[in-house]
Amino acid sequence: MSPKVIQFRLGIGACIVAAFLTFIGIPNWVSSPSNVQNIVLAPTFWPYVLTAMTGLAGLGLILVAGHASQDDEGEDEEDASGNPWLRLAALAAIMIATMFALPRIGMVWTTMVVFALTAFLFRTRHPVTALICAVTIPLALYAFFAHVAGVAIPQGNYVRLP
Amino acid sequence: MSLWDSLMAGLSLVATFEAFFALFAGICIGVVGGAIPGLSATMAVALTLPFTFSLQPITGILLLLGVYKGGIFGGSIPAILIKTPGTPASSATILDGHPMAERGEAGRALGMALWASCTADLVSNLSLILFAGWLASFALSFGPPEFFALILFSLTIIAGVSGESLLRGFLSALLGLLLATVGLDLVYGTNRFTFGDPNMMGGLNFIAVLIGLFAIPEIISMAWNPVAHLGKARALGQTKVTFADYRRSFRSIIRGSVIGVFLGSIPGIGAAPSAFLSYSEARRKSPNKENFGKGEIEGVAASEAGNNGVAGATLIPLLALGVPGDVITAIIIGAFMIHGLQPGPMMFILNVDIIYGLFIGLIVSSVFLFFVGSVAIKGFRFVADIPKRILMPAVLVLCIYGVFAVNNNIFDVGVMFVMGWVGYIMLRYRVPAAPFLIAFILGPLLEDNFRQSMLMSGSDPTILLRGPITWFFWTLTVVTIVAIVRSVVRKARSAV
Repeated sequence: MSPKVIQFRLGIGACIVAAFLTFIGIPNWVSSPSNVQNIVLAPTFWPYVLTAMTGLAGLGLILVAGHASQDDEGEDEEDASGNPWLRLAALAAIMIATMFALPRIGMVWTTMVVFALTAFLFRTRHPVTALICAVTIPLALYAFFAHVAGVAIPQGNYVRLP
Repeated sequence: MSLWDSLMAGLSLVATFEAFFALFAGICIGVVGGAIPGLSATMAVALTLPFTFSLQPITGILLLLGVYKGGIFGGSIPAILIKTPGTPASSATILDGHPMAERGEAGRALGMALWASCTADLVSNLSLILFAGWLASFALSFGPPEFFALILFSLTIIAGVSGESLLRGFLSALLGLLLATVGLDLVYGTNRFTFGDPNMMGGLNFIAVLIGLFAIPEIISMAWNPVAHLGKARALGQTKVTFADYRRSFRSIIRGSVIGVFLGSIPGIGAAPSAFLSYSEARRKSPNKENFGKGEIEGVAASEAGNNGVAGATLIPLLALGVPGDVITAIIIGAFMIHGLQPGPMMFILNVDIIYGLFIGLIVSSVFLFFVGSVAIKGFRFVADIPKRILMPAVLVLCIYGVFAVNNNIFDVGVMFVMGWVGYIMLRYRVPAAPFLIAFILGPLLEDNFRQSMLMSGSDPTILLRGPITWFFWTLTVVTIVAIVRSVVRKARSAV
């Protein structure tokens, strides 16, 4: 992406965020008592000030985009081999599945699977090492956090560790 | 308590095997973390933080300070060998360090980096010991208006960590300030962006946001391009740094150390600008200025002195005012809070033994850094051989355990993942993450002190200018903004 495209997209994004917060976000999700004596003490004051500044920063970025270079400088789709979007989607799916699995099957087993899946997603050239690490690293971390640091690591509903 | 009593109290706290072992282990972890491009000193400190929860406060904090100091030096190793700075602070080291490595003098460049780092580290630690107590006693006269002016000034220095675009850094800081508004309102106790979820009523967990912003985007980047990191480390070469090299570069090392101490004591600037300023001053004053950029050992010395001079000095505002000097000290402030300690002027009264214990530990850290660094220079090849496609899944698993351990809350793991994607989008759009994090930390302080000032004065804004301390910080803020505007205008003119 060229600096021009980056600045322009960021500017548009910032303006959309500012408009969303002004008209929907703050009125609906920030509660303010009706008896506030002074506007500067209201819980909505600070979010509105920051939102206004975000809008201004967005407008500034759009204005600056007009003078920015159009030369493509950064890495883009063509720099990444295979299908990078598919890998990103797979990583997002792994993260969502992690959130679902953590309380159900426990942190140790979930992270073992997460380690193995991400190592293969990253196309590791050391699959055996990856599998060994996928088992040993979560176990070692469990041993430290559960038995040394005294953290109640989620054990899940099926197989519980000592 | 007299200075001698304080020193003895600190010594009794720190003179244990556990404390020194933690410091030593921290330096080892930091050097390794800093030496792995993509891991960085910041991530190394963040990943070590959960391991300190079960330790004594002094032991845990010394562990983190060891990681910090080791990480800043460790970043110079890949900067010199593979032209990839392990930490942003080592960016300036590339300019002369890598050309030296290309000539087969990597060992000499790394040796000088180590000597300069240890010297600057010592100067920085002594400055901390001399100035932090004085600043803390001065800070006891601070009230909400003074803190508001100070934090506002700290926020203006975000310009220094904004990288190539000031506007993008400003936008990043605004997003951080907006995110910091999540939670219960501190005056009225009403909900702000909590969506009725009790997990969000106390605001978002700082550690989850931090690890999400800095560690997870690296993992997502690896999914985008799993082979982007492939490169070759160079040989160390036979030449070694000599005492004559050190003596020739001594002026630049001391100058760089002083620049580092000065910039490090101002919250928000960090090590990278200091390293570049030290480098440019060394180049301006050196009789070998034409060799700079082509493999001049004095350039390596100046850069490393500049970034290591910051390491101790960033703790001056942290310990004296409770304001983090950079991203890493922002993480370290989390460690203080987890152990029930509130850095700031009161700590010099309530926990003076911990303060002096830290001072003693920091002095010892310079010695440890010298020995660990010497071994690390020779052993870097083994560290660099850890396949990154094994390392990153391990980092992901460690992040999950570490973030969960802060509050025993799976919700925080979700926050970390979401912030990871936010951080990745910011990375793709070249929006710097450091202003976001600094604003996220300082945002609640800024708002609270502003509203407390308004409550104190019955909403009279003149309270924000009530005395010499506020005038001083307002003046500094205005001067900084004028300097920023001037540099932006000058940059724009030179581009035309």
